[in-house]
Amino acid sequence: MASNAAEAVGARLSPQIDSLIRAAQQGDQDAFETLVRTYDQSVLRLAMNLLRSPEEARDVYQEAFLRVYRNLDSFRFDCSFHTWLYRIVTNICLDHLRKRKVRKEEPSVIETTEGPVDRMDGFEEGSAHADPERVAWNHQLRDRIENALGGLTPRERMVFEMRHYEGLRLRNIGEILGTSEEAAKNCLFRATQKMRSELGDFV
Amino acid sequence: MTCDSVLQLIPFYFYGELAPADEDQFEEHLHSCPECAREMERQRAMAAALAARQIEPSTAFLEECREDLAAAIRNGRPDRVLPSPRRSPGLWRLFLNALADSLSGLSRVRAPLGAAALVALGFVAARLTIQSPAADPVFHTVRSVQPDGSGRVQISLDETRRRLVTGRMDDQNIQQLLLAAAQGDNPAARLESFGVLKDRADSSPVRDALLNAIAHDPNPGVRLAALEGLKPVSAEQDVRKVLAQVLLSDDNPAVRMQVVDMLVAHRDDAIVGVLQDLMQKENNNYVRMKSEQALKEMNASIGTF
Repeated sequence: MASNAAEAVGARLSPQIDSLIRAAQQGDQDAFETLVRTYDQSVLRLAMNLLRSPEEARDVYQEAFLRVYRNLDSFRFDCSFHTWLYRIVTNICLDHLRKRKVRKEEPSVIETTEGPVDRMDGFEEGSAHADPERVAWNHQLRDRIENALGGLTPRERMVFEMRHYEGLRLRNIGEILGTSEEAAKNCLFRATQKMRSELGDFV
Repeated sequence: MTCDSVLQLIPFYFYGELAPADEDQFEEHLHSCPECAREMERQRAMAAALAARQIEPSTAFLEECREDLAAAIRNGRPDRVLPSPRRSPGLWRLFLNALADSLSGLSRVRAPLGAAALVALGFVAARLTIQSPAADPVFHTVRSVQPDGSGRVQISLDETRRRLVTGRMDDQNIQQLLLAAAQGDNPAARLESFGVLKDRADSSPVRDALLNAIAHDPNPGVRLAALEGLKPVSAEQDVRKVLAQVLLSDDNPAVRMQVVDMLVAHRDDAIVGVLQDLMQKENNNYVRMKSEQALKEMNASIGTF
């Protein structure tokens, strides 16, 4: 499980982050860029893993930080910057997921400008020396995982991604999604139940 | 705690979201109940299976996104074009300006930001662009900055020159560039090149590049784009031969599905054997279904028996 580096950095550097925000609000471009660099890796990772498409992830990244750039003046320090930023990011990602739900499609392969990213790298699929039974099992597991994730609602998917992969606390997730910790908890419970029932005898 | 309540709490225990008192009771129950302990193991196994799915964006991709964002902010619009041409006072002057800007900006946020100041400086320095109206833009990425103590600074930088070439698709030079890009290191450029070349499979160098890509390109997205380009010629024997090889060797189910479609679109006796071979080893249910359906429609048996 990944720990959320940006959140940790944000918490540790809170006074510095606040200073950066104030400087950026006064038009300091460099302060804004430093702010972006503090959080952008985890934003991009969230978008990549949720949307499984580098192009969409790139769009989310740009749209999110442009919104931050344009609306930073309205940030009043009544929540952490991390929460405020993630509200923007999750809203954009949810829009993408909902559109995809309507289109009933999900990119099946991942390309990056640096090279192919085989999302199943960890399964040793296609290795010439892999045990055929193992390869077959991995194939099926992969399909099941994709089906299971595809069967979650956009909101369940978002909560699951933020808790399971990004390591955010449910209280923080609730805050980001504008809901209660309890609602985030229910979402996570439903998501794990669905995942486990879909993965069946694989786990 | 009862088994029912423990089962409800498994995900929250796993994610460390239980209150300490509940956690103690949960663990106590788990020690004495093998059934619930097994369920807990299933939760762990699921997490392990999901771990393999996690993607970490590459540094290069992150840098691209940062550059796009910087360009969008500079240009006042969210796009990914080159920065608008402007006369530059020269690299050294630009660097000094950037340095001065960074330091004055950071002086407003004061002392504890030493590390952040270096990051900000890196960001500004790394996006310096030198351009005159007549010349191609040169992008400098500053790798290191070392003051030598005597007031001089040593800067190590990489230069990339970007050129814009435009032309018609029937221009030989354009085609050669596209073919070079189609075999280059950049998968995005390969994908785009095959997208543009897709109606030109009647030209022999293009067809060779497309066949080479479906057989050897490491990126499944590029292989799919190349397959798309081969559709108009998928009835031809040399193409079908490569398609059959790809069907039996490609590790990506989306690619195999596309190949089955292309082969069965022009049925011949040779594909029966290929599909039967496929049925012996295919693990993906959708590909199996497609192949099985095609064999049925051709009144062929599913296996070779």
